[in-house]
Amino acid sequence: MRLFFLFLLACLTASCNKPEPLYTTQSYVFGTLVDISIYGETDANSQDISNQIIREFQNLHNRLHAWRPSELSSINHAFARGDTPISIKPDLSAMIQDATRLSAQTNGAFNPAIGGLIEEWGFHHDEFAPKKVDENKIKSLVKANPQMSDIVLEDGKAFSKSSSVQLDLGGYAKGYALDIALKELNKVGVKNALINIGGNIIALGKHGDKPWRVGIQHPRKPSAIAALDLNSGWAIGTSGDYQRYFELAGKRYCHIIDPVTGYPVQGVQAVTVLIPPQNNTGVLSDVASKPIFIANPENRAQAAKNMHVENYLVIDSDSKISISPSMAKRIIWLDKDAEKHALSIQP
Amino acid sequence: MPKNTRLAFNHKPLIGDWLVIVASMVAVAVMFQQFWSFAPASQLKIRQGNQIIGTYDLNQARELRIKGPLGESIIVINNGQARFKQSPCPNQYCVHQGWLSHAGQVAICLPNQVSLQLMGAKSKYDSLNY
Repeated sequence: MRLFFLFLLACLTASCNKPEPLYTTQSYVFGTLVDISIYGETDANSQDISNQIIREFQNLHNRLHAWRPSELSSINHAFARGDTPISIKPDLSAMIQDATRLSAQTNGAFNPAIGGLIEEWGFHHDEFAPKKVDENKIKSLVKANPQMSDIVLEDGKAFSKSSSVQLDLGGYAKGYALDIALKELNKVGVKNALINIGGNIIALGKHGDKPWRVGIQHPRKPSAIAALDLNSGWAIGTSGDYQRYFELAGKRYCHIIDPVTGYPVQGVQAVTVLIPPQNNTGVLSDVASKPIFIANPENRAQAAKNMHVENYLVIDSDSKISISPSMAKRIIWLDKDAEKHALSIQP
Repeated sequence: MPKNTRLAFNHKPLIGDWLVIVASMVAVAVMFQQFWSFAPASQLKIRQGNQIIGTYDLNQARELRIKGPLGESIIVINNGQARFKQSPCPNQYCVHQGWLSHAGQVAICLPNQVSLQLMGAKSKYDSLNY
């Protein structure tokens, strides 16, 4: 009998568990929210590491800012003038090389050289407003055909063969920063962390005895449409039309611009990709959703294949949901309506 | 007249005693699940910039004014739910987000750097992909 009450007591105390060793912090970098969660470290230790990571993010953001004076905008000015090569730091040079390779892999759908188009659409402002664009300006910017392959990197200097090349690493930098953060965490020996930069998330280790779990935002409701477990080293990224967009005459113009037409992509609300651990997991979580977002529905499977993406989810403007077979196995629907309408994509 | 008028418990537990014990354990476990682990959102955490402005009980009716770089964001708490009521930002996405009521839900105003996060005993996820 006594044993029995002891058992009951043990059950109760186990349920009323102590506060778990989870540290979370939030800040604003890259014009968006950065969330860092660290599990299993002392608060003081977690705070030090988080601050260090935030400082690195801030530094990267300042260097890569596309419309304020920065290393990147100096390079853009030099490209536009088309005169002598400008000196470039090794890590930025490596980023440009990597982005050039990825641009080719996406057949130009991911094209960080179209800063001119993004500027014309008015997305180069912290507070962008609905804008009636100059159609002729868009046409001429598309015709100028700025390509990453126009950039020549030699002896620590950068030069562009085309004066139309204007770099905007907005679809690359956040993913790059995730990779940097993961390296930093590994270096200082943190085993469990979750980093979220404006919705792009990378996981390290676990949340206690369970994997980290992330929610996927519903593109039209203030709640999550689904959730999934993000295993150690995996990253998730979404391209959506609901975070940066404006509406003009009842039409939505999102920040994702098709380099071929020069116009914001219509017909898609969100594309989510899940990337397994590799050298540049973070970068891929940022980049790989773009070609799928831009592709016509019939070409999406090929666009995903080109990026070796097996796990992805597409939500169209008519709220039709398509999901790759392997993603369907991982996803946990929270929105019952979405679950009913989700269709499997045939690879 | 019985010798012992006290209600003594001097026998070994009978089957009925066991049933009562087991039933109450099950009841405790079920209530725990119902009322503790899966409670709806109970608190609202408001952040501005890099600071936590405060954590507020959701079970009240209250209006809060939070100063950000663009001006004042007005946040309303109304018995279990919360929302941005007014914001100085140009696009008003935060206001259009509407009411939040479940643990883990988030509304963010990037221009004015104000965010609302609903806290509960158990959120369905650790972080949100958007």
